[in-house]
Amino acid sequence: MRERLSKLWRTLAWSWSPASERESSEAIVKNFWLHWFPVKVARASMDFNYSFWLGTASAALLAILTITGVMLMFFYVPSTERAYGSIKDLEYAVSFGRLLRNQHRWAAEGMVAVVFIHMARVFFTGAYRGPRAMNWLVGVALLFATLLLSFTGYLLPWDQLAYWAVTVGTGIARQAPIVGNTLALILLGGNQIGQQTLLRFYVMHVFFLPVFAWILFGYHMWRVRKDGGLAAIEPLRNARTSTPRETPAAKSYSLFGVTVGTSVAVRSSMQLEERDQVAASPNLIRRMMLVFLIVFNATLAAALLFNAPLEGPANPAVTPNPAKAPWYFVWLQELVASTTIHLGPYTVSGALLGGILVPGILLAILAAWPFLDQSPREAEGLWFARNRNRQNLVFAAITGAIIILIFVGVFLRGPYWRLYWPGMPRPAMPTLM
Amino acid sequence: MEQPLKPSPDSYEARDFGWLVAMSLLFFGLVAIGFWREYRTEWGPYQHEFPEILGHYGKGEEARKFIPGIKQIWIPQIAVTDRCITCHLGYDWSAILPPSLAQPLTPHPAGDLIAKHPFEKFGCTPCHGGQGWATTVNAAHIGGPGWIDPMLTPALAASQGLTMDQMMQMRCNFCHRHDEATPGMDVINRGKTLLRKRKCILCHSIEGRGGNTGPELTYEGDSNPELYDFSRVAGQKTFFNWNVQHLMHASRITPTTQMPDYNMPIDDARALTLLILSWRRQSFPPEYIPAPSEAAAAMQPTPATTPSANAPEHH
Ligand code: HEC
Ligand code: HEC
Ligand code: HEC
Ligand code: HEC
Ligand code: HEM
Repeated sequence: MRERLSKLWRTLAWSWSPASERESSEAIVKNFWLHWFPVKVARASMDFNYSFWLGTASAALLAILTITGVMLMFFYVPSTERAYGSIKDLEYAVSFGRLLRNQHRWAAEGMVAVVFIHMARVFFTGAYRGPRAMNWLVGVALLFATLLLSFTGYLLPWDQLAYWAVTVGTGIARQAPIVGNTLALILLGGNQIGQQTLLRFYVMHVFFLPVFAWILFGYHMWRVRKDGGLAAIEPLRNARTSTPRETPAAKSYSLFGVTVGTSVAVRSSMQLEERDQVAASPNLIRRMMLVFLIVFNATLAAALLFNAPLEGPANPAVTPNPAKAPWYFVWLQELVASTTIHLGPYTVSGALLGGILVPGILLAILAAWPFLDQSPREAEGLWFARNRNRQNLVFAAITGAIIILIFVGVFLRGPYWRLYWPGMPRPAMPTLM
Repeated sequence: MEQPLKPSPDSYEARDFGWLVAMSLLFFGLVAIGFWREYRTEWGPYQHEFPEILGHYGKGEEARKFIPGIKQIWIPQIAVTDRCITCHLGYDWSAILPPSLAQPLTPHPAGDLIAKHPFEKFGCTPCHGGQGWATTVNAAHIGGPGWIDPMLTPALAASQGLTMDQMMQMRCNFCHRHDEATPGMDVINRGKTLLRKRKCILCHSIEGRGGNTGPELTYEGDSNPELYDFSRVAGQKTFFNWNVQHLMHASRITPTTQMPDYNMPIDDARALTLLILSWRRQSFPPEYIPAPSEAAAAMQPTPATTPSANAPEHH
């Protein structure tokens, strides 16, 4: 009876429990959707406390954004006359339209945060060394794509918030030396935000950037496999090998692999024993389903609880006071505002220093870091390895500074970009009637 | 030889299964909340009540034909999408429903005004303001963050010492700007007379005519209130109030001004301010702009005989 019941449950739940290793691996290899997964995955990589599955969460957000975004495309009209109204229609007249828009919005803002935290995880685990340096670079490009996707999407509702945030953002770009004006011209499609800008941002947002992000994501995943799985296995490997970790020359293409590396087959089977691994089907697949479900639930709950912002229709004649960039760029705006220095008759432009030089240098260091890092390879794949303390502290300090600047910009800046401490009354701005 | 899979005690199935079940249940719960939200609308109860009321007043046939759902007046020529009638269902039933019916089902005050401005051509927001798209009370009446065109309510009008009827004339004048005078727009008419009598045009250019001692006023209603100095304005920080006080004693609000202190009665200042604030950029097509001569003719005590062939038959 018990057996019958449990069999019935299995039938109803359609649970997948392969009877043999071969059945399990064939489930991966023969399935079009799963063939890019490894057949076996290291237990160390499955460990929640290693990766927190943040990369998978980023991928889940990208998938949610793609699906909700395609649905939004059936209602949104990229014209300065109709854009705002089509968002209002979504909010008030389309079935589940508000929910759809909210979920897309919160997933987008969540993705910026989750991708960044994923990067911080990779940094703190030192998982970008050796052949994984290439994947770090791919990651930096993905971070850039994520930010651009968010920023281009920000303009589309064509409300006051969108219009002026993009005015601020492109105003900063204009300050870049030599190329600034050309850059602004390319971004705006003219000298001023208008229909051309909206169309440009729209095409980038719904076609080029998502396609670019998906291709990069595919490459990112391919690299993870080619680099032998997650760096979580490196401590294990280091412990198993008595000889230095360089593989025999015959089996590797280069020692310092930027584009080349050892082949998938070579590295993944190295030094890992049967008991270190589990079958990807169903263990990894189940775990991924779980991560997707958690992320989906989180965005859906956020969409039910909070409405995506939408202000009055874009009005070039009335500047909101203050006009703020989107939160993930507000730290730049903060830098711009606080680094403008007046020396007698001379003015050192804050936009150049805070808007171009500081983020430019940060981005360059970020991209180059795997090649500058001098810490011993024993630190690879370990959280907060002792011999990486100094660089981890610097990374944390820069991140902390950015978070503080974002907090100040989002919560403390009021009219005329003045600071208002919590509880301090803000001046009531005059209204029409 | 195939290797059988060893069941391991620390299997991931045991670890993840509970979470999967919990997350699936949460997912179904959230979807259920989503549906509940979608179908629990603010307008639902009114639409439930309305057919009963129609039936009560002998319109059983129409009551049966009533289809619940979002109702709207859509006029693409003037970019109007007014969903007010999703709740204000009785608006067009003044012949049958009594005016004593509680809002939002009250029939619209009918009469000459609506005969001249049929709902299907004018919608609601051109006269009332508010957010036509919205299907919730607050969003429709007040707007929301950053909405600068709230509905003109009796309360809002009272806060400026006016009645709703008077304040609404500001919006009437969006279209009736070039009437010399319009029946039913007493306050604006008074403003227009004052404008002529006080010769404001000596210093201000309006629609291409006038002096340039003071700033141009053609689109004064579009001004950004934040750009004005309110430090010497007593009372509310509204552009309306700024103008009322400025018109009464210009030198108190802008000490260095060349504009004379008119010391006019506050009602005159309010009438002029309503007029000035009605001067906004409009995108109404020509058929929405009444011919000025007709309105002026309508003001005459005895019906004037106009030589024009297409003069309206009704006054
Ligand atoms: C979701 C339902 C709903 C919608 C949509 C709606 N209203 Fe109302 N309206 C009400 C209710 C209920 C009242 C009476 C209670 C109140 O004043 O809040 C009311 C009252 C009013 C009043 C009288 C106000 C007063 O204070 O006496 C006016 C005028 C009005 N509505 C106009 C509009 C206009 C114009 C629109 C469209 C822009 C609109 N309404 C959209 C429900 C609605
Ligand atoms: C031509 C201008 C005009 C149009 C168009 C118009 N209204 Fe009105 N409405 C008025 C005027 C004028 C009043 C009377 C105000 C007064 O005297 O208090 C009024 C009164 C009302 C009232 C009653 C307010 C009260 O306090 O008694 C409601 C509700 C209302 N309108 C809703 C609507 C709706 C809904 C529509 C669209 C279907 C609409 N109106 C279209 C001019 C207009
Ligand atoms: C969207 C534009 C518009 C708005 C707003 C508007 N009107 Fe009109 N009005 C017109 C047009 C167009 C006509 C001419 C209609 C016709 O003759 O058939 C007209 C005609 C009239 C007439 C008749 C004039 C005559 O020659 O008999 C009166 C009175 C009038 N409006 C008063 C008002 C009042 C009062 C309001 C505000 C509550 C108002 N209008 C708001 C466009 C507007
Ligand atoms: C002697 C010239 C003069 C006359 C006559 C005059 N004004 Fe002015 N007005 C000015 C000057 C100068 C300013 C600018 C300084 C200020 O704001 O007071 C001004 C400002 C204004 C403003 C504020 C405009 C803005 O956007 O800053 C308004 C509104 C205005 N006048 C309306 C009127 C009206 C209505 C009349 C007729 C009743 C009138 N003025 C008569 C000279 C004049
Ligand atoms: C759209 C954005 C991104 C997606 C969808 C994504 C996805 C993933 C996934 C699924 C993994 C597997 C491990 C895990 O889940 O943590 C991974 C690993 C990795 N990612 Fe990303 N990632 C993104 C952005 C980035 C960024 C911004 C960086 C760094 C600049 C980065 C660098 C890496 C590296 C180096 C690894 C290997 C880590 C290891 O071996 O432990 N990725 N990524």
